[in-house]
Amino acid sequence: MQLYHLVYSVLNILILVCLTLAQRDIEPNQDVYTIEGRVFPPDGPISNSWYSQTRILANGGEFIGILRKDNSFVINNVPSGSYVIEVVNPTYAYEPVRVEINSKGKLRARKVNYIQTSTVDPVAYPLALTPLARHRYFQVREQWRATDFLYSPMVLMMVLPLVIIMILPKVMNDPETRKEMEHLNSLTRYDMPEMSEVLTSFFTGGEKQKVKATRNKKKIQ
Amino acid sequence: MDEAASCRESESCHENVNGHKILLRLKSIGKSVCSEYSIEKDLSSIVLSPTVHVLVANLFLLLLSFLCSFTVGALISSGVCCIISYNMIWDIRKGHHRTCFIPWNCIKDIYIVEAISLHRVLYNIVVLIEDEVKGSTSSHTSLKLIPLFQGTKPRLSCLETIYQSIHALLRNESGTCGERSKNMSIDSSKFILTVSHCLYEDQVGKFDWHQNYVGDVKFAFGDASGKRGIVATALNVVAALNLKTGNILWRHVLERDGSISFMSITSGGEALVILEGDKTLVRAFDPVTGALSWEWTAPSSLPVDRVSWAVSTDKLYAVLLNDGVGFAVQQFNIRTGAVISKWQSSAPWVQNERQVSNKLLFCSILYPVKSLDKPGVFVDFGSSNTVKSSQVVIFSEQSNVACKAVSSSAQWVINDLSQKSYVLLQFLVKNDELHIITSDCLSGTTLQNSPISVPWPSSLEPELKTVICGSNKDDLSSCRLLLHTSDEAVTLLQHTGKVLWVREEALASVVATEMMDLPVSDKDAAIEKEFDSKEAGVLGMFGRRLVSQALQLQHLMQSVFGLDEPHQPSGQRADLVRDDFGLHKMIVVATKAGKLFGLDNFNGEIVWQKMILNVDTTALQLFVQRTTRHAPYPAQCSLLLKDKVTKESVLYTFNPITGLGSRKNLGYRALQTMLLPVLDAESLRPIVLLDSSEKVHIEPREAISLADSFASSLYMYVADPATGIVRGYTFAQSTSERLIAARVWEVVFQPESQTLVNVVGKNPQERVHSQGRVLGDRSVLYKYVNPNLVAVVTQGTDSLHKFVLNVYLLDAVSGAIVFSISHKRAREPIHLVHTENWVVYTYFSEKWRRTEIASIELYEGKTQSNSGSFSSLIAAPQPLVERQSYILPAVVQAMKPTVTEKGITSRHVLVGLASGAVLELPWMFLDPRRPVTVTPEMREEGVIPYMPELPIPPESIINYNKSLPLISGIHTAPSGLESTSLVLVYGLDLFYTRVAPSKTFDLLKEDFDPFLISMVLIGLGLASYTTKRLASRKALKQAWK
Repeated sequence: MQLYHLVYSVLNILILVCLTLAQRDIEPNQDVYTIEGRVFPPDGPISNSWYSQTRILANGGEFIGILRKDNSFVINNVPSGSYVIEVVNPTYAYEPVRVEINSKGKLRARKVNYIQTSTVDPVAYPLALTPLARHRYFQVREQWRATDFLYSPMVLMMVLPLVIIMILPKVMNDPETRKEMEHLNSLTRYDMPEMSEVLTSFFTGGEKQKVKATRNKKKIQ
Repeated sequence: MDEAASCRESESCHENVNGHKILLRLKSIGKSVCSEYSIEKDLSSIVLSPTVHVLVANLFLLLLSFLCSFTVGALISSGVCCIISYNMIWDIRKGHHRTCFIPWNCIKDIYIVEAISLHRVLYNIVVLIEDEVKGSTSSHTSLKLIPLFQGTKPRLSCLETIYQSIHALLRNESGTCGERSKNMSIDSSKFILTVSHCLYEDQVGKFDWHQNYVGDVKFAFGDASGKRGIVATALNVVAALNLKTGNILWRHVLERDGSISFMSITSGGEALVILEGDKTLVRAFDPVTGALSWEWTAPSSLPVDRVSWAVSTDKLYAVLLNDGVGFAVQQFNIRTGAVISKWQSSAPWVQNERQVSNKLLFCSILYPVKSLDKPGVFVDFGSSNTVKSSQVVIFSEQSNVACKAVSSSAQWVINDLSQKSYVLLQFLVKNDELHIITSDCLSGTTLQNSPISVPWPSSLEPELKTVICGSNKDDLSSCRLLLHTSDEAVTLLQHTGKVLWVREEALASVVATEMMDLPVSDKDAAIEKEFDSKEAGVLGMFGRRLVSQALQLQHLMQSVFGLDEPHQPSGQRADLVRDDFGLHKMIVVATKAGKLFGLDNFNGEIVWQKMILNVDTTALQLFVQRTTRHAPYPAQCSLLLKDKVTKESVLYTFNPITGLGSRKNLGYRALQTMLLPVLDAESLRPIVLLDSSEKVHIEPREAISLADSFASSLYMYVADPATGIVRGYTFAQSTSERLIAARVWEVVFQPESQTLVNVVGKNPQERVHSQGRVLGDRSVLYKYVNPNLVAVVTQGTDSLHKFVLNVYLLDAVSGAIVFSISHKRAREPIHLVHTENWVVYTYFSEKWRRTEIASIELYEGKTQSNSGSFSSLIAAPQPLVERQSYILPAVVQAMKPTVTEKGITSRHVLVGLASGAVLELPWMFLDPRRPVTVTPEMREEGVIPYMPELPIPPESIINYNKSLPLISGIHTAPSGLESTSLVLVYGLDLFYTRVAPSKTFDLLKEDFDPFLISMVLIGLGLASYTTKRLASRKALKQAWK
């Protein structure tokens, strides 16, 4: 297992060295290639400014393609390497494509993935670029809605006390609920002794007096 | 489909099990789904009794429980988040701190499985993943199952809901490729809803303006219709101008490297443009739409720098001139670029290349080198325009015709007058007037009765680029002349002498800019004058106060009764006065052509312009010596330039409001400059200049004693990119007669291994409001705010890593390197922003082939070493360094942080992109403290979790659909409002706007309606009054009962 690891790492290093050597071999006067493609305009009539406002940039303007009347484009004089081709239009968004040209002049197009740069998600070449969506530069103004108004804290603050003030007494007037409440009150009376009573009894210390008092009350009754 | 509306949240599955509330929250943003499954101990279950009298208490308790659930959080909760834009499902479990990322494209399917354990059936959601395993021999895929919600064991009904939502997503996503990516772009824009500050559509143009330019015009011609003028410029721009208005109809920005060496009209009406560079490109554009007609590459064997071009009906000629011998001609098919034929011809009259310039061949409109031995139309002006007596020679097909020698430099020959005669146009600038003399080329007779004269500043040299005649070619008076002047302006002149329009193309190459406050109005100035002189006694002061208040009253009365006549303060426009919020400013712009402009920042209108002659604008610097706040003195700016011939420094001092100024030749070459940090008696900041022999000068000279009193705390540094040496100087040895700069330290960046790319200091005007940063545990992490810190960027070449980018943070006073970092395989374009306690820079990573943006943040630690003023000389502790880098999916052209008056508002970084967008990137996104694993403390601190790729949502593009090509810089300036920062983006175009990084917290909202509020108040008042009346009536009634 260890041997395998060793061989593997040696191989890795070799590949690295080869790669760096290969990169250094690039001559200044190398062969150049052409990237071709077609930009599909959005549906509807094309305005005159479409041709001048749509730019095809390779690596952010290192090489430039210009649209023809038939919406095709070529990017000339591109040496071998990797290029991100993007269609720049102020109104419509297009997805960028990475085009790789190897030293033999073979072209390959794939999706741009900046995070996992090694994943190959092939795209058809010659490029066919379709609009994804309209750019949405602007926020949509909020429309006035009744629900928004009702749920705004100000209104809630006003309405809730109103409800409590206006509706609760009405509900209390209902005989059934009153009965229920009384029932509840009688229940709670024994569960929870009155705080003031407890305190007074505690501080006065005389529980007997109180007992007497209650007895007196009973007698009266 | 409206994507904004699709952001919704739904809650389902409320269940009460043994006093536990189970809550399933489903959140879908666009096409992404987030579901959170939580079990909480139900606080509200006790209070949910049906009795009525506790309703009020119940309400409050409910509120309380709500608050509790917000602050305390659920006991156990687990969530799954599918964000397609980030290609992943994100499984979060709060209780156990487990986050797992699953790439979206790996997901095959999602299932609900059941398992029996301890006599119970347990349900689980399981994600089926296709994993690519790369072996040594071959790669194969393996299937893996990842269970979600392992710890919390949700109920089946909840799982079903989650399953449905994710499954629906999966089904959608497995559709066509295009559809899938469509979602991607929308989602990435929708994801960061929280921090984007954007414009409403009705605000377009309300506080921004945009001016289009084309650059210094090199070639021009009118198209066949006579309505459009096609121009090609030094900035490699080809554009069509509307000849009536001067507006741009279409514009193409060509490749940056190389230059346009030829442009002509073809027989089909197309504009043929030849771009010289590594490879010479021949392109033809449709004059109406700007679409490309054809494009081909000239053979690389052609020595393009010595070739003159000419066009005939369907052929392009490349004429290679050999001195004294003749010329070699290559004939190309104009559409395909195929070589038709080649020949050589002897022409001993071709003395040297200078005499037969490109311009002359350009004149050969009709018969260029057509026949083998006879050249067509050649015009020879002697040796350019400098020679007084120039000669015009016309070679026609039949015979050589020599024009008569003309006294002054002639500029143009047109031969369109029914092919019979050649018309010679001569320009004479005399006594601030431009005279145009039209004469017959052959006979020499003047064609007009009186020469046309146009008012013209005598310093400007006109150069005729083209003559555009309408359909009626015989009548010369209908022709228009397109003139280019030495200040890079383009003027269209009717042949009768009327100026149709002027385009100030110098604004396409802005070098330096400043935004100046406008002076206060006369009224305010009178009030301020009252406080100025303090020597007057109490009585005098009182008297002045009375007078000024009487004046104010008078102004008030005048304005109330509409008597206020607009009077112009000292010959300016009346509206050029400071407004309440300090938003109205004067933009002072210095351009490459040596022309200064004063622009009104509200509409971009040119208020004043000034051409500085015979100057070299490389390494130009603009200083604000005195702002408008020092009322009796006018504001003053200075521009440091170089003389064109001697290369010695020139200081042009001017008033930025009126543009009036004077020039001063300094007589030495300035190496480094600095504004003194103190004001002199006249509230002026003197400029300290270090010349190439390390002598120190000060402007104005009287300030030398002032500078001497501060000399012990004055330091200066000089970075020399040629030698890679950064040197520090001290002024401590100065005397009151002479300032002396002595070398203190020297840092050498070995020039053989690295080159200095950029040295960025901090903006001396910037203010840092908050001293530190409050952490999650309520302790403070103090910022390392060193005003003397300078970021030095070097680009090294390494045999192994090819490109190495080094960033050093250098203390410019002590010369200590505070921090350094090195990036391997990182290369230009490098842009750096340095403010407060952080540095942000972008570079291109060769290794990953993407633009990365790195941020460094410096902290002193939990204790502050010096709370008063910072000193570089007292050994401060080495700062703690936080650093992080992100992917920016774009190419950067310029970067600048926003700046506000007091520095309270959070900072955003404005990034100019190659696509023409200017992105407003909140510092929060670039924060190096963004954690990969979110801890509760981090959440408390308000740091957003780390995402490798920064999003570019269209909402944060401040120039919306107004693309700005070739952005060369961004200038930010504070306004009187703390929330608002003013932004000028320059490059080929000018774009001005204002941004509010923390929203306009100090302004009432736009939709604030005082009318509505007063109506509501009045209504409430009325209602209370009427109810009071009603109540009293009711009370009365009840009393009667």
